[in-house]
Amino acid sequence: MNITKKIKILLQEAELYHTQGLLNEAMEKYHNATKLIKSNEQLKSNQNLINGIINKIRVLKEDIIKIQKAPKKPEVSAEVQELIKKMCSFAPDKSEDLKALDGAIALAKFGQLKRAITEFNELIKKDSLRVVAAKSILRCHMALSSMDEAVTQYEQWISDDIFSTIQLDKLYVFLENILKKEGVDKKLPRRKAPTVNLEPVITRLGTNVVQAKEPEIEDDALDINSIGITIDSEPQEGQVVEFKIRFQLGNIITLLIPIRDKDLIKSFKVGNKINDIQYYSTTALFSGSGIVTLVKEIKIGPLRGDYCVDIEIVVN
Amino acid sequence: MAIFNIKKRELECKIVYYGPGRSGKTTNMEYIYKTYKKQVVGEMVSVDTEGDRTLFFDFLPMGLGQIKGFDIKVQVYTVPGQVQYKSTRKLVLKGVDGVIFVADSLAVRREKNMLSLKDLQHNLKEYGINIVNIPLIMQHNKRDLTGQGVPVMTIEQMERDLNRQLKVPSFPASAIIGESVGATLKECLKLTLLSLKKQIKSG
Ligand SMILES: Nc1nc2c(ncn2[C@@H]2O[C@H](COP(=O)(O)OP(=O)(O)OP(=O)(O)O)[C@@H](O)[C@H]2O)c(=O)[nH]1
Ligand SMILES: [Mg+2]
Repeated sequence: MNITKKIKILLQEAELYHTQGLLNEAMEKYHNATKLIKSNEQLKSNQNLINGIINKIRVLKEDIIKIQKAPKKPEVSAEVQELIKKMCSFAPDKSEDLKALDGAIALAKFGQLKRAITEFNELIKKDSLRVVAAKSILRCHMALSSMDEAVTQYEQWISDDIFSTIQLDKLYVFLENILKKEGVDKKLPRRKAPTVNLEPVITRLGTNVVQAKEPEIEDDALDINSIGITIDSEPQEGQVVEFKIRFQLGNIITLLIPIRDKDLIKSFKVGNKINDIQYYSTTALFSGSGIVTLVKEIKIGPLRGDYCVDIEIVVN
Repeated sequence: MAIFNIKKRELECKIVYYGPGRSGKTTNMEYIYKTYKKQVVGEMVSVDTEGDRTLFFDFLPMGLGQIKGFDIKVQVYTVPGQVQYKSTRKLVLKGVDGVIFVADSLAVRREKNMLSLKDLQHNLKEYGINIVNIPLIMQHNKRDLTGQGVPVMTIEQMERDLNRQLKVPSFPASAIIGESVGATLKECLKLTLLSLKKQIKSG
């Protein structure tokens, strides 16, 4: 095939790929054509041909930039937001409340943060979802890059009477953790001095149980702070219970269940899949499932009688 | 994960068009929307971005009428094929009952087809679904480009690349002129309803 014909074919291809929206493929063909032209003494001086291709490449580049610059998570119409909710709460076997939670989380994931906050505000009215929803609201505020808004919201909750003191304390610990991680120096108020020991699990942890094998956390694994699980056995069946993460190795998280919550152990059996886990990290919130890989009673030390539960994270 | 409502005598299932960017998923749905007026029960909703690329999804609500006394409703979605929308693709796939994989016949997209099929397999697995167990149809799209001066793969090559192990039903198609668009969807609906019937019986 002579060189002119080769170039013609390359340009034809490039043109077609461009109309198909295959921009990188089109660019490659234009570059190949340019190379061929430059390698040929006769064609090298054909300024018309060269200018023509330069022009095509310029238009193509503009298209590529437009695509790169387009907003990734634009605010969409209320109708589409409804659709997002519906799409992600499409499950036959869930309670209406949990479906609503899934829907609100989906809105947040699609970047519809303001609408998600409205939805989570509705869910705050449900006792079993109150804390989960409140944390999500704080997270949405932070994703909207208004840390102050998150703090103001928390302060308002303190003066409202929607939350119990225990619930507020959970939010306090949660928000304080985030502020610390973000390097924000802000003293959060509390409704009153906590009367209950909030995180006994952490304070009572003995050195002989887990310290020796405190693992390195893999870089690419999300740092999970806590998780919410819908309990499927009596007496707390149907409730979302929150567990603080004791530690994390890659995508395996370890919870500690104190002996006084022994009833909860029934919900964890090795090999079982737990659906509907809400995972909380300081930067994100996501739902998923998990597979129980270990349930072990602690035999020695101050935590004797408590249970260690390992869960492998499966992100949806 | 179809919703089977015995009280309302209604079955609602979800079909998703999957495949690499620009392979013709949205074009398939547009053709269905224009052509199957009787089965389309609402507007087609598209959330797209620059250059007509799907950003979140396309959605089309359909109704197949009564089958054995049950009202069959179908939610049809397309995923955004661009590589960077990985997490959105996964969200759209949630609760899927049947998949149509739209592959691009252009030779320059060979690798992208294979990567997208792998991505589908991976995302299904994360939802606890093995790709060999879900109703899946393969569509080799843009057949009209054969003989138009660009390299187009043969059906044999595409079958070897994508369907050698899966061995699912496949259709050469040209979504832009509607060729085999209806046949692809019909086959997927048939397999999906059959699979749901089996699930309902065994459950
Ligand atoms: N020649 C030809 N072009 C097609 C065909 N199907 C789709 N196209 C073109 O391919 C381009 C991409 O089509 P879309 O339907 O938007 O592709 P998509 O798979 O939805 O792409 P994403 O939303 O980015 O994942 C458009 O320019 C279509 O006109 C076909 O059968 N033949
Ligand atoms: Mg599309």
